[in-house]
Amino acid sequence: MNKKILSTQNITKTFGQIKALDNVDFHLYRGKIHGLLGENGAGKSSLMNVLSGIYQPEKGSIYINNQKQNSLNPDLASKLGIGMVHQEFRLVESFSIKDNLTLSKANIYIKDFEEAFNKYSKIFSLSANHDSLVSELSVGEKQKIEIMKLIFNNNKIMLLDEPTAVLTPQETNQLKISLETLSKEDEKTIVFITHKLKEIKEFTETIFVMKNGQMVAKDLKTKSVKDEELVTLMMGEVTKSAIKKDNKKGETKLKVENISLAKNVIGFNNLDGINLSIKAGEVLGIAGVSGNGQVELANIISGIYKNFEGKIIIKGQDVSEKGVKARKKLNLSYIPENRLGVGLAPGVSILDNSVVKEYFNASYGPHLSTKKMVNYLNLLVKEFSIKTAEPKAEISTLSGGNMQKLLMGRELISSPEIIIAAQPTRGLDVSAVEALHELIISQRNKGSAIMLISEDLDELFKLSDRLIVLYEGKIIKEFNINEANTNNVGLAMAGVIE
Amino acid sequence: MNNYILSKKTVVNDFATFYSFLIGLFIAIFIGSVILLIQDQNPINIFSLMIKLSVGSINSLSSSLNKAIPLILAGLGISIMNSVKLWNIGAEGQIFLGAIAVNLIYINTEIYNSTLFIIVLLISGFIGGSICILLPAITKVFFGVNEIITTLLTNYIIIGLTVYLVNGPWKDPKSLNFPAAAYVGDEVYLPTINGKLSSGFLICILFTIGAYYLKEKSVFGYEMRIAGGSAMTALYAGINAKQKTFYAMLFGGGFAGLAGAIELLSQTHRVSIGISQGFGYTAIIVAAITGMRPLGIFLVGCLFGALTIGGTVIQTIGVSSYIADIIQATTLIGALVSQFFFTYQIKEVKNG
Repeated sequence: MNKKILSTQNITKTFGQIKALDNVDFHLYRGKIHGLLGENGAGKSSLMNVLSGIYQPEKGSIYINNQKQNSLNPDLASKLGIGMVHQEFRLVESFSIKDNLTLSKANIYIKDFEEAFNKYSKIFSLSANHDSLVSELSVGEKQKIEIMKLIFNNNKIMLLDEPTAVLTPQETNQLKISLETLSKEDEKTIVFITHKLKEIKEFTETIFVMKNGQMVAKDLKTKSVKDEELVTLMMGEVTKSAIKKDNKKGETKLKVENISLAKNVIGFNNLDGINLSIKAGEVLGIAGVSGNGQVELANIISGIYKNFEGKIIIKGQDVSEKGVKARKKLNLSYIPENRLGVGLAPGVSILDNSVVKEYFNASYGPHLSTKKMVNYLNLLVKEFSIKTAEPKAEISTLSGGNMQKLLMGRELISSPEIIIAAQPTRGLDVSAVEALHELIISQRNKGSAIMLISEDLDELFKLSDRLIVLYEGKIIKEFNINEANTNNVGLAMAGVIE
Repeated sequence: MNNYILSKKTVVNDFATFYSFLIGLFIAIFIGSVILLIQDQNPINIFSLMIKLSVGSINSLSSSLNKAIPLILAGLGISIMNSVKLWNIGAEGQIFLGAIAVNLIYINTEIYNSTLFIIVLLISGFIGGSICILLPAITKVFFGVNEIITTLLTNYIIIGLTVYLVNGPWKDPKSLNFPAAAYVGDEVYLPTINGKLSSGFLICILFTIGAYYLKEKSVFGYEMRIAGGSAMTALYAGINAKQKTFYAMLFGGGFAGLAGAIELLSQTHRVSIGISQGFGYTAIIVAAITGMRPLGIFLVGCLFGALTIGGTVIQTIGVSSYIADIIQATTLIGALVSQFFFTYQIKEVKNG
């Protein structure tokens, strides 16, 4: 018999003007593995943070073991048996495994620590000794300790936020077996969050789907639900664009040959044999869930990353060995995903930030002309209708939309021949998005070769001539825009190719 | 329910730093007065005496400005380094090593043209200061070691080195057991303007303009600002952030080293532990009060030089010279606090 151990009703949580959770109903059955599926920003992590008492919802009620909880906080949630493994681990690196596991006063294995540790080491096939320091462990091992911590704290409900994102395929398989054992033998209730279809089908018994802060499907039986159905729920309907795609294509401007990047540093995603080319007047869309190699690809093409294999050819010239400035001189512009921090320097004035791309054009030898800089900024402000404060004010005083307009204007005003645009409209309001889309299309019409990296299918379908889907550092599928639809692109993004 | 948050003002007041300095100074004078009152002194009398004896005559004004030279130069060095958002706490050590470098070159070379010799010695001082910060610069650029710690600790090494030199190899037998090196010959004394003011002050004016140009009007200054703002943006713009950091640190050290050279050639005329009386630390206050602006550093440096002289002279009537230190330190605190209110505003945020 299925027994509900936890349920929520009408949970609503807003951040500023964004509704992270919108009347969410959710429930968990004792001893089952639940899947929670959704795109980035769908509200999965927010919901988990509400359940573990980190966020307080503005509206709605939470029932744990049929008792209404009015003011859940992390301490109380933990007492009631709810534990969460975050995407960024919360371990004390300089402590031993044992110290980490017994850190909380809630831990239940004090005298019989050895026994319990041996038992769960077996379940997780963890070979490390409990005296080893956490800092010496691999990422996969650290995650095992994180999950064991929940067990040691007697958490009956375990919320795992994208646990497989950091794991190798072998480790993922191992995790699956461990979680199944925990749910069967210890009656642990597990929530498995992911945006990978394949995993949610393998790991879970029942599936919940979120989109735009809403719970769009509840309690779908994993065995009977179809991939297509899940994709449609997750992505929603995509409106076909009215933008004409019959503009003239010219010669090949950018060619990428066999780019590979080994996954040797933590925080970097690998790339594996990427080949692509973009012609003048063409928009190549790069679809994919973030973290599948998009940032790395863009950084390699723009010249920021140097340690890669393969060739970058711009306008027939091999620039693989050349730096950022040489590529800029060949008329390449890069609009990075990370607006403030990469594209714009925080703590530096609007004026300084407006000339990052072409500050050497405002110089005479070692002298930098403030007048030229101001003229350039004024031109940007006029051309791209940026609402800006004083030039000397810090860049962070601009709104997100105006920051992005300044960044894009700066990169586009010189009519670059090649444009790499990563997530150009993320987090912006509708009118700003519309203005930036028009900019991209007008650049395309002027004959730029554009690579558009985005997670927003609407945007990709609207602007691209062709689509490439990146999955785990590989081009998993390529589409002509008229044969692409939510279903086949969505499936490819989730790593499924029929 | 409404929340209140702090947010940066979108309108920049160019005089904000100046106003906050005035407010800081006002607070400092107030607190100084209270302390004097507790000591049964009349603050108005004491302060007017300080002003009279520090800037009241050409002679006293010259002494004040002489005292300002090391403060200004070291302050400029700190300000250049701050362009890449780094703090130079090691100006004191750099002043000493600048002076040591001057003496080293002086006793080991012979140049008969004294003008040329002086120029060579001043350059040696600059290089000495740069060498002093070389180790912190290398460890910062290659290993990311915190420069606040390394520059501070270098001070102790250099001051130790100075003590060793003046008690050992460089000890002047004629100094009657006072630990000091031999005097340099008067052919390398920096010439004075009207008998008292060191021509080092002219160098100071020159370097103030130079530092202003470097920071605000040059490509190098721009690249330093971007590198200081975000290392990733520098990488993205094709700016070598590590190189800029390295040069900024060497420049910063060099300015302080030059201060040491000028102190040696125009004031003490010999290496001893008295080359600097905490100028390197006071320079941090000067630079911080002015928000790292070269012109401000020049003006506040002059004021603090006068304060130091004023503090020294009131000792003669039995008031502790520490009143000057108290005023300097309180001005900094007052100015920093009021700067906060000039750059931030309290905003109301509506929930829901």
